[in-house]
Amino acid sequence: MSAMRGIMVLELAESVSGEYCGKLLSDFGAEVIKLEVPGGGSPTRQLGPFANKGADPERSGLFAYLNTNKRSVALDVTTPAGATALQKLLGHVDVVIDDHASGWLKRVGLDPEALEANWPALVLCSITAFGQSPPEDRLHAEDLTVFHASGLGYHTPSGSPDELSPLKGAGRFLASYEAGLDAALCISASLFEREISRLGRFIDISKQQVLASRLDYVLSQMVAGDMDVSTSRKQFDLFGPTGIFRCRDGFAYIWMSAPSHWDGLRKLLGNPDWMNEFPERWLERECTPERVKLCRQHIAEWLATQEKETVAAEAQKLGLILVAVNNARDLQASPQYAFRKFFAEVDHPSLGKTLHPTVPYKLSKTPAQINAPAPLLGQHSELIGELS
Amino acid sequence: MTQRMRGGPLQGVRVVELTKVWAGPYVGKLLAFLGAEVIRIESLDSLDVTRTYGVKDINKAPGFQAVNPQKLSIQVDMKKPEGIKLVLDLLGKSDIVVENLRPGAVKRLGLGYDVVKAVKPDIVFVSMGMYGSEGPLAYQTGYAPCFAALGGLSLLVGHEGQPPAAMNIRYADSTFGTVAAYAAVAALIHRRKTGEGQFIDVSAVESMTSMIGDTIMDYTLNGIVHECDGNLHAEMAPHGVYRCANDEWISIAVASDEAWRAMAGVIGQSGNAHFSSHASRKANEAELNRVVSEWTATRDASEMVGLLQDAGVAAAKSQSSVDLVADPHLWGRGFYREVTDKSGQAKNIVGPSWKMSREAKITQGAPQLGEHNAYVFGELLGLSAEQQKEFAEAGITR
Repeated sequence: MSAMRGIMVLELAESVSGEYCGKLLSDFGAEVIKLEVPGGGSPTRQLGPFANKGADPERSGLFAYLNTNKRSVALDVTTPAGATALQKLLGHVDVVIDDHASGWLKRVGLDPEALEANWPALVLCSITAFGQSPPEDRLHAEDLTVFHASGLGYHTPSGSPDELSPLKGAGRFLASYEAGLDAALCISASLFEREISRLGRFIDISKQQVLASRLDYVLSQMVAGDMDVSTSRKQFDLFGPTGIFRCRDGFAYIWMSAPSHWDGLRKLLGNPDWMNEFPERWLERECTPERVKLCRQHIAEWLATQEKETVAAEAQKLGLILVAVNNARDLQASPQYAFRKFFAEVDHPSLGKTLHPTVPYKLSKTPAQINAPAPLLGQHSELIGELS
Repeated sequence: MTQRMRGGPLQGVRVVELTKVWAGPYVGKLLAFLGAEVIRIESLDSLDVTRTYGVKDINKAPGFQAVNPQKLSIQVDMKKPEGIKLVLDLLGKSDIVVENLRPGAVKRLGLGYDVVKAVKPDIVFVSMGMYGSEGPLAYQTGYAPCFAALGGLSLLVGHEGQPPAAMNIRYADSTFGTVAAYAAVAALIHRRKTGEGQFIDVSAVESMTSMIGDTIMDYTLNGIVHECDGNLHAEMAPHGVYRCANDEWISIAVASDEAWRAMAGVIGQSGNAHFSSHASRKANEAELNRVVSEWTATRDASEMVGLLQDAGVAAAKSQSSVDLVADPHLWGRGFYREVTDKSGQAKNIVGPSWKMSREAKITQGAPQLGEHNAYVFGELLGLSAEQQKEFAEAGITR
């Protein structure tokens, strides 16, 4: 059984944010029909990672990841014939997902402002960089620039020396994944209500606003006047000896803020002399820069001789918050990910059998499932006859 | 009670929180912003650290107020069997319960899924853990930066040739919370159609990995393990954050030759054959970044954003906390908004990430401890004033 079986979704989106949103719904069983421009299809088909398949137009691992369980109809809604077909399709679907720039929906005949009058039962979600009415100096955006407009970028990484530049987020599409997630939340909440009310809704997702909202705990305090704002890149930071350290086989992250962590470290290290030169409870009460530096030096020397998984397991059992800094290989080898079946094998006609990362939630009755690989371009174009 | 009828897609849904700190409470915040009635169970003897951190008055704690607007608060001592009975009575009248206590803690309290399901068969039970509630590593615990480290993100963020430096330390909890909220609402849809509830087991570490799914695919497809590479991007150049006048920074991302030609016109590089195609810009990227840095170094960030945007180039100022709280676009969209707490004090909060038609009203600040005892114990659970008084005196609702 799938949570969203029977829900019909039309995906006009053709970048990561909207396609990821569609995937979150389709992996729960929603029927997602993806409209793609004949010839090239979604631009995400032109983005890597690519399988080693020469010039095969179906070789994009990005597209394969983002479009599981969907169906592809080749249709250009920016042509008059396509626009006519789109109008007919709108009568058959519950949800439309778009991630083109503000104004595009109106141009293809789906004006959000006319939604209530023309399509009162439709849930229409638009994902854009800055929302429906971007200021003139925010018309052009990529995930990097959105990340930096949101406040997350300026403060990444924590503890950065001033001479080094602020950084991008992890991977290429963090802003898009985050926005796609909020879009899926709002769409599903709207669908829940619509089961009873039969009313649609327009949802306007701004990537900048989604990323800024992730700063919730600190940003709320700042906008309330309870926490200082400044031009410091360390303004969100916490002070202390926490951080990433090199190990024999990679890196580990250690967090220390409470006496229990200090005690755990003492047990793990066998009560070394250097720890006894620190005052008890210094982490909370006497956490000076000098002590932090000295503590970090000792931790660095010790961790350099350790293996990340082994030391993390020992530390965790003693109440010390220490974890491995994992890479993709570590994740695929993780016994926990294996236990939770986080990776699923998907057989794609062009890519062959490949492991996909799946979803971070396990639902006992309606688990998300990948039942079909991403569609080939136009693989389900016959649907247009059935639906129009 | 006005909490029940604020509009929004989740109006009429009741959520109970057995949560701590940020990730769990963030689920409740999102659901409250979508219209649900969210009741946070607290106890004077086991206060959340955000109630006490850095303040004397637990009803004026900024951290708590940040994450808990528009919620209700009741007091129950869950170390007492009568307290657990009260919680179960409330869960019997609720739709969702969210917990992010330490691994195994809800079971030890006598509030595991089996027990709750016995009193409320169609409950949506959301359990949040660093690694999920079961499995060989489920015993491990950690804070937000641990989620990002374990999930594969931290290794990807850092300067070229240097050890990884990770995302900002505040990143992870709210993403984890949003993932859990989405799964909960999906389960609500299923319940509305079939009457069936379920158990949802959410992993913080996997929530992180979901934010880099395509990077992981490069490993499963091609065996490529990515590590930190500064601000490089396979498909974009320039792609970086450049120092401007007055220690400000500008982010610029060029995704096409057309965008580069526009940018080259602005920065006086139109004729430079080293940069004419994406391949040549990648091949000469160090030189490209030097040229861009030279152009930005002495100029005002906002002026450059204006020039580049006019030409059609993706550019934005890297916003500090000062810029962020003053961002007129965020104010204009209602992202920052004012709420009022029980004492009548108005306060700005971070509102929802979204705009939507027929939104839920968001007007109330975070609750005082036990502010809604009378409503929940009296109106919802039907305890008489006398019984409520007895419970309070016995310390069960303190």
